[in-house]
Amino acid sequence: MKGFTKYFFQKLFWYLLAFFLALFLNFFLPRLIPGDPISVIVSKMMSGTVASETQERVYQSFMEEFGLDKPLPIQFFNYIGNVFRGDLGTSFSLYPLSVNEVLGNAIVWTIFLQFPAIIVGWILGNLLGAAAAYRKGVFDKTIFPVALFVNSIPYYALAIILLYFFGVYLGWFPIGGGYSRTLLPSWSWTFAIDVLHHYFLPFISIVLVTIGGQAIGMREMSIYELNTDYVTYSKMLGIKDKKIQSYVFKNAVLPQITGLAISLGTMVGGALITEIVFGYPGVGTWLFNGIRQLDYPMIQGSTLIIALMVLVANFILDMVYGLIDPRIKAVQTEEG
Amino acid sequence: MKKVFVVFLLLASLVMGSVLFAQVTQIPREEAVYVAGFQWGPPTTDNPLAGSPMTFVSDPRQHIWIYETLFTWDALNGKYVPILGESYKWLDELRLEVKVNPKAYFHDGEPVTADDVVYSYKLGQKYPLGLQIWEWLEDVYKVDDHTVIFEMKPDNPNRLMVEDAIGATFILPEHIWSKVEAENNYDLTKIRQFRNENPVGSGPYKVFYESPETIILERVDNYWGNEALHGGKKPAAKYIVHPIFKSNDEGSLAFENGEVDVSQQFTPRIWEMWEEKGLPVGTWYDEIPYYMPGQMPSLWFNVNKYPLSLPEVRKAIAYSVNYARISELAMSNYSPKVQASLIMPYGGEAKYFNENLVKQYGWEYNPKEAIRILEEDLGATKGKDGIYVLPDGTRLGPFTVECPYGWTDWNASLQIVAQSARAVGIDIQTSFPDAPIAYDNRQTGNFDMTMWSPSQPGPAQPWLRFQIALYSKGVPEVGQIAYSNFGRYKNEWADQLIDMIPKVTDEKELKNLYTELDQLYREDIPMFPLMYRPQTFYQYNETYWTGWANAENPYAPPMPLVGAGMEMLWHLEPVK
Repeated sequence: MKGFTKYFFQKLFWYLLAFFLALFLNFFLPRLIPGDPISVIVSKMMSGTVASETQERVYQSFMEEFGLDKPLPIQFFNYIGNVFRGDLGTSFSLYPLSVNEVLGNAIVWTIFLQFPAIIVGWILGNLLGAAAAYRKGVFDKTIFPVALFVNSIPYYALAIILLYFFGVYLGWFPIGGGYSRTLLPSWSWTFAIDVLHHYFLPFISIVLVTIGGQAIGMREMSIYELNTDYVTYSKMLGIKDKKIQSYVFKNAVLPQITGLAISLGTMVGGALITEIVFGYPGVGTWLFNGIRQLDYPMIQGSTLIIALMVLVANFILDMVYGLIDPRIKAVQTEEG
Repeated sequence: MKKVFVVFLLLASLVMGSVLFAQVTQIPREEAVYVAGFQWGPPTTDNPLAGSPMTFVSDPRQHIWIYETLFTWDALNGKYVPILGESYKWLDELRLEVKVNPKAYFHDGEPVTADDVVYSYKLGQKYPLGLQIWEWLEDVYKVDDHTVIFEMKPDNPNRLMVEDAIGATFILPEHIWSKVEAENNYDLTKIRQFRNENPVGSGPYKVFYESPETIILERVDNYWGNEALHGGKKPAAKYIVHPIFKSNDEGSLAFENGEVDVSQQFTPRIWEMWEEKGLPVGTWYDEIPYYMPGQMPSLWFNVNKYPLSLPEVRKAIAYSVNYARISELAMSNYSPKVQASLIMPYGGEAKYFNENLVKQYGWEYNPKEAIRILEEDLGATKGKDGIYVLPDGTRLGPFTVECPYGWTDWNASLQIVAQSARAVGIDIQTSFPDAPIAYDNRQTGNFDMTMWSPSQPGPAQPWLRFQIALYSKGVPEVGQIAYSNFGRYKNEWADQLIDMIPKVTDEKELKNLYTELDQLYREDIPMFPLMYRPQTFYQYNETYWTGWANAENPYAPPMPLVGAGMEMLWHLEPVK
């Protein structure tokens, strides 16, 4: 276990370094966008008024409140300090709401949409891929090209096509939002059905893309496994097809789990386009609004969440592989 | 696999559980008026001092549902409608006396007194709140419980802006807000952060429910004004609901379907709703221009940038613009013919409009005249690429003209400006950056041409519009932030005239001064209006509610249940 401890701390060191780099970029990149966010706030407050000292005083009071009157390095250390206290700051564009509050609400929607969709897409994709590899014939000849086709359409195009066809043209589904704006949230069937009604199109769009990608990968892995010696040997022993299928599936699905972990890690960031196209009230929508409104704390907050999710997912994956993958284990003992 | 599904179900139900956090009963449709177009993001605070542009209750010129102002402006006749203020009159050159309605009280039963009025205005003296009145005021004090005096600084009086301010400030209950101040150590940044989740005002409605998707107000049944201002009648609508739409299209669709009763959103080709679809929809006028003009989105020049610094070049551009096309294509014909004047030929300020001078010296769409100015007045010659070149070799363009991305009617207008100018031989390119960048460029003077609307109707018009367009005192240089006179125009005579007007009360003299100022504006043309836009759009759908004001029944101005349009609440009747 000495080898693993060393491996753990080595990895941890690199991940922490990456995290600090992300913090640094989160802070400086939004500030490279041209424009003065405070003058936007003040100009909305003061539009239609005459030139005067009052405007200058209002401007200064907001600069002080947001700490933008201080030099950049000091702003940066304040930001780092606040992040470690769990405070992502006050949003500029949604003043005086805190970024914690806005993103805290939004992430629920994002996970509610993405998590089930990725899981369902992953399961269906792998089953289909395995089936295509095993059954071959017509099944393979239809599934494989369809999967390839769905997978190669740019996601935003697919989302817009779905939205246009089912939302606008057929009018079966609403064209945006998490639930009808004329409805009040409540523990009722009306509301639950309404939420699901709004949920369907974005959900299906993610499922479709995930299925496509997973099916292709799974098909290839399964074909590879089907040509291995143990399969031939099992067939010679007369083991039932069902049994062999399950061996093949178990072996082929291992690398797919890596893919699952990564998609779950990038889930929040990956939600951006889905949420924008379907007007879904998640983190991606706020990130996009934040960028357009020069809302530094909002941009910093959402990119931080995305970076954290990706890093944590990868770190867990590394740890799991460190424990189970004999090749990595070998490296650990050599070094140890 | 079964386990995975169980986990998934568990997670899904957990997530659903936290989403369905609130228990609110369904609002009966026949008791609620749905309004749209005032808010586009989640409600962030109900604190009127927060100054947030996203706040539903933040604009005292419009949203007098919860907190009330002394007066509210009726753009139809250019007069104030009394709310908390009973009447006002100038006692002398410097003192304005306002009588507070003795019958007024807050939701908690406390009377609205002169102390509350003084307190509310003095907040702007204590803190930088955006309340400009203290530039001109020496003091605000009470004479008795229902009389307040506004006394101006003798060295910098401004009647117009003080009159403007008595219609632009919420009267807050001192007994509540002085506590808020004390709890926050009199620190404005802390006071601004106070959410004020249960606002106690004096208005006819209070907050019932707020979420990122909807805001619902509930009628205050013992509202003081029902007796004092509306003959004992209550508004018929128990609720006012404002669904927060993500886009204009979504809101327009909801309006068309009757889900929204009255809206201030820009809706293209509104007449099709009744002419072709037979819907019970109406606007102020039932024919062109459908809406009452209220503001002037204009093209502003950077007057210090050569060759735009030449008034002849600016005038040539003004002559080149096809205004009718802008009205037709960008504005769905919602803009009547634009005139070469900073005075609006409509509403209260129309009395200062000098039609003869506008006709004689004004510009209009006339490409031939634009070319004549370029060739004869400036001696420019047309280059091979069809663009004019000045005698000193300066090519007329490329100039950029800019406004925020996504403001579709403005974007379309500027495209027409660019096409029109190119047709006479001036190279103008459009640029539509995101709003913060467009704002920043406009304010720091980093532009060739930009688009902005100088200001809203009110008692200080048209003076305020001239001030914002022409006044140079206190406007910082290019590079620093200015909130008016973006092109940094400078003319001492204009400054003097603008200084003079707020002190003058004689109508005849006022008319002369305005005529002089307008004429000066026409000579130098630092900016020019592209269209007349309504103060707020106003369209109603009578599926559930009827009794809306319109040009045939103009008992209130065309504002959707805001400002002086609040009056409609007491005239609406449910259809069923």
